Amino acid sequence: MDRKKVGEELLKRLGREKVLTDELDLMYYSYDSSFLTKLKPVPPLAVVLPKSTEDVQTVMRFAYENGINVIPRGAGTGETGGCVAINDGIVLDLSTFDEIVEIDVSNMQVIVRPGIVHAQLNKELAKYNLFFPPDPGSSQMCTVGGMVANNASGLRAVKYGCTEQYVLGLEVVLPNGDIITTGGLKSKAIKNVSGLNLTKLMVGSEGILGVITKIRLRCWPKPKARGIAMAVFDNLDDAPATVLEVYQAGIMPSGIEILDSSAIEAVNQFKPEIGLPAAEAILLFEVDGNPPSVEYEGNTIKEIASRRARLVEWATDPKRMAELWEGRSVTAAAAARVRKDGSRIFAGEDISVPLSKVADTLRAIRKLGDKYGIKVVNYGHIGDGNVHSAPVINPENPEEVEKVQKLVHEIHLLAIEMGGTTTGEHGVGVVRREYAQLEHGLAHKYMQEIKKVFDPKGIMNPGKLI
Amino acid sequence: MDFRNLPPVREQIMKCVRCGKCRSVCPVFAEIRTEVAAPRGHVFMVQMLRDGKISPSNEVYERLSNCLMCETCSINCPSGIDIHELNAAARSYIYENNPHLGKELVFDTLWTKPSLLKAAAKLMWGAQKTGLQAFARRTGLTRLLPGDLKKAEGILSKVPSRSARSILRTKNSPRGEKKLKVGYFLGCGTDLLNPQVALATVEVLTYNGCEVIIPPEAKCCGLPHIANGKLETARLLAVHNIKIFNAYDFDYVVTDCASCSSALSSKNLEFLLGGLKIEEEAKSFAARVMDLNKFLLEVIDIKISEKAKTKKTKVTYHDPCHLANAQGIKKEPRELLNRIPGVQLIEMAEANRCCGGSGTYALTHYDLAMKILDKKMDSIMETGAQKVATACPSCMMQISYGMKRHHLAGEVVHPVELVSQALSSQPARK
Ligand SMILES: Cc1cc2nc3c(=O)[nH]c(=O)nc-3n(C[C@H](O)[C@H](O)[C@H](O)COP(=O)(O)OP(=O)(O)OC[C@H]3O[C@@H](n4cnc5c(N)ncnc54)[C@H](O)[C@@H]3O)c2cc1C
Ligand code: SF4
Ligand code: SF4
Repeated sequence: MDRKKVGEELLKRLGREKVLTDELDLMYYSYDSSFLTKLKPVPPLAVVLPKSTEDVQTVMRFAYENGINVIPRGAGTGETGGCVAINDGIVLDLSTFDEIVEIDVSNMQVIVRPGIVHAQLNKELAKYNLFFPPDPGSSQMCTVGGMVANNASGLRAVKYGCTEQYVLGLEVVLPNGDIITTGGLKSKAIKNVSGLNLTKLMVGSEGILGVITKIRLRCWPKPKARGIAMAVFDNLDDAPATVLEVYQAGIMPSGIEILDSSAIEAVNQFKPEIGLPAAEAILLFEVDGNPPSVEYEGNTIKEIASRRARLVEWATDPKRMAELWEGRSVTAAAAARVRKDGSRIFAGEDISVPLSKVADTLRAIRKLGDKYGIKVVNYGHIGDGNVHSAPVINPENPEEVEKVQKLVHEIHLLAIEMGGTTTGEHGVGVVRREYAQLEHGLAHKYMQEIKKVFDPKGIMNPGKLI
Repeated sequence: MDFRNLPPVREQIMKCVRCGKCRSVCPVFAEIRTEVAAPRGHVFMVQMLRDGKISPSNEVYERLSNCLMCETCSINCPSGIDIHELNAAARSYIYENNPHLGKELVFDTLWTKPSLLKAAAKLMWGAQKTGLQAFARRTGLTRLLPGDLKKAEGILSKVPSRSARSILRTKNSPRGEKKLKVGYFLGCGTDLLNPQVALATVEVLTYNGCEVIIPPEAKCCGLPHIANGKLETARLLAVHNIKIFNAYDFDYVVTDCASCSSALSSKNLEFLLGGLKIEEEAKSFAARVMDLNKFLLEVIDIKISEKAKTKKTKVTYHDPCHLANAQGIKKEPRELLNRIPGVQLIEMAEANRCCGGSGTYALTHYDLAMKILDKKMDSIMETGAQKVATACPSCMMQISYGMKRHHLAGEVVHPVELVSQALSSQPARK
């Protein structure tokens, strides 16, 4: 069916308020935060802004009957091209389907529609002294639906884990229009082992099995106190060694972040008032909990880190803590500042390796950067071995683009070689799909079989994940 | 100047990583909620224009012009992109390819000649007596002006019968010893809509030892032109004003209008004139330009006697985008208000969220502007303040309209008006 016809049919079914068909409007949906779509934006056939599960069902039934692809989209902050219609199709912009259906304080759960923005949800939950712990760097932008679809996690995954640990149940519209509820039709139980765990299957499925229209999340009580320790190292190896010793001392920080020299430079350029000291590596530990334990853990970290670090700062003053942590949270895009005529790109940005291999990996990435003559800014969640490498290039220089693609490929292979994976949290989408077979072997075939069960016609976000 | 050669177009577009941070802070996106209104969407479209992938059409202009130019996105962009400048550059580029008779008349003819603008204001004053709508219909103005004037009629606050310029002298001597020679950049909004603010400004400055000169040849700061796709006209205006003011050898050039001071700031002049011959002159001019609030606080260090017979008043302060976002001036107006005996400053929620006024925006995008305004009014109402202080004629007009719209009794003032009243109620004047 051609673009015009698809638009007309959708307009007929859903009305002008919920459908975009103008060619110009569609162009705005041709990208996400990936380097891939920056180079090659692809507009969809139409955009639908559903306001209810029934709207989604209407689109799916129409698409199923006519063999048209459907691509769910949250805020488009994904870094893999996951929400872009690279093979044509209808984009479902779920960001305005965003009600908080229920905050069930007595059961410490919240039921939301997929479009709610993560930070907004936590702002509402804070009124009840609750929070939804996974905290991606994109918290203020990304939708909870996108987080579930990508199984996102963040700075505090070390202690609080990923989105999957909090999803108790989902409502999903399947490609044929069926609506299923996972985690029990009526269940509000926290523990539930009845049936095959379709919730876990859906979390992280990147929109290739169905459209998530309702999410039941477990919330946690907000910790009462926080503290941040910063340790500055002149030797890169000392950073992971310190992390290990902290764990061995029986301490489980809520976040452990690493910035290497290039990341430090980027942050200081962006926000000089943060004033990070120049060094080979900076570790940021966050501890949270009750005030006495925070104090104890902070002091222990300080003592352990002091054995190797040139400088250790432990802060519980909210202002200073915010500054130290802000440095980390802005690193991603601040990497754009290290080169006047360049920008960081989101490619090869999310490998995850065993803790014991973090220092070797960082060194190897630097070498690869030198090999291709490309600056790479490294930072990440060292506590769980998730390294964010940000190559900085002029994305409008074809030569640099070609080189960086080779570099990125080598970074991905390096991760697998180190006993890790090409993606720790951002997902696979289009950009890492080529490694699926290498990473999963025979299991990859079974993934494809599972996909066929849900999506026999192959219309649900094709060309992604597996 | 070629669109593609403008520094932000040349250097910044490629820096966008489409992270969406800008989207999460944009007041327009919060209302429209499709990617079409997202700041990163604007950046993307400017890129498409630059690369010739789309043509500079009115349809693109229409989408770009949803933006208020509030700069909230730009100050939040981690990649340091001046998103609003890209937008302005693109509007101008599109405009050049699609001339619009109404805009020529308004922005090239009317709004570059103070006398004509004043005449128009006079006409407006007359019109308001009979009803703008009828007037606009009779004169055919509705066809020429953009947007839905019918709906927007109420926004144009009462146009006073006399402009500030017609009341004030060119040269105003300081009370007592002359400490500084100050050029007063009297913006169109203050001049024509809020002459009482201009009188207060001159009063407060002269009271504090400033010789205040209002160069009669000065013209509009050019901000309305930048926002309406008339960069070249804005450039001409900037060059004109720079030459006029530089000829006086002022210690400072002060303005009570947030939009004017941002238009005359080094950042904006660099955007307009960077790389041109006038660049150095522009720098020396911009170095002297200062917002009035900042000037009264930091240069004059104004003192008001505790014994001033002012009434106890609850005041809340709204940050004009062109002060808070464009120039980072947030604490100065508050500090100034705090120095006024009797003023109890109550912070509103999200004081730096745009009010939706944004110059001519509320006239061209009425419904959207009202949604944004209503959010602002909610914040204002929560404070229970009797007065709303703000330092931009456009915000004053918009919030005054909000007061009417929500049937509130409060008054909208410029901080300098309160300062002036306080000074005049001191027991013994110098
Ligand atoms: C600056 C920056 C920092 C980031 N930091 C982190 C981080 O720390 N940790 C992290 O994990 N990620 C991070 N990300 C990546 C990204 O923000 C997350 O993956 C996020 O969860 C994506 O949410 P979104 O709403 O933008 O989804 P989109 O990008 O719109 O979509 C992502 C995927 O989810 C699918 N999808 C979206 N909604 C639904 C739905 N309702 N049903 C089914 N499928 C759906 C889409 O098809 C697509 O495959 C970061 C991104 C940026 C730009
Ligand atoms: S905040 Fe800046 S880098 Fe991020 S999407 Fe917006 S313009 Fe692009
Ligand atoms: S300038 Fe203001 S209105 Fe315009 S895109 Fe940026 S945040 Fe939105």
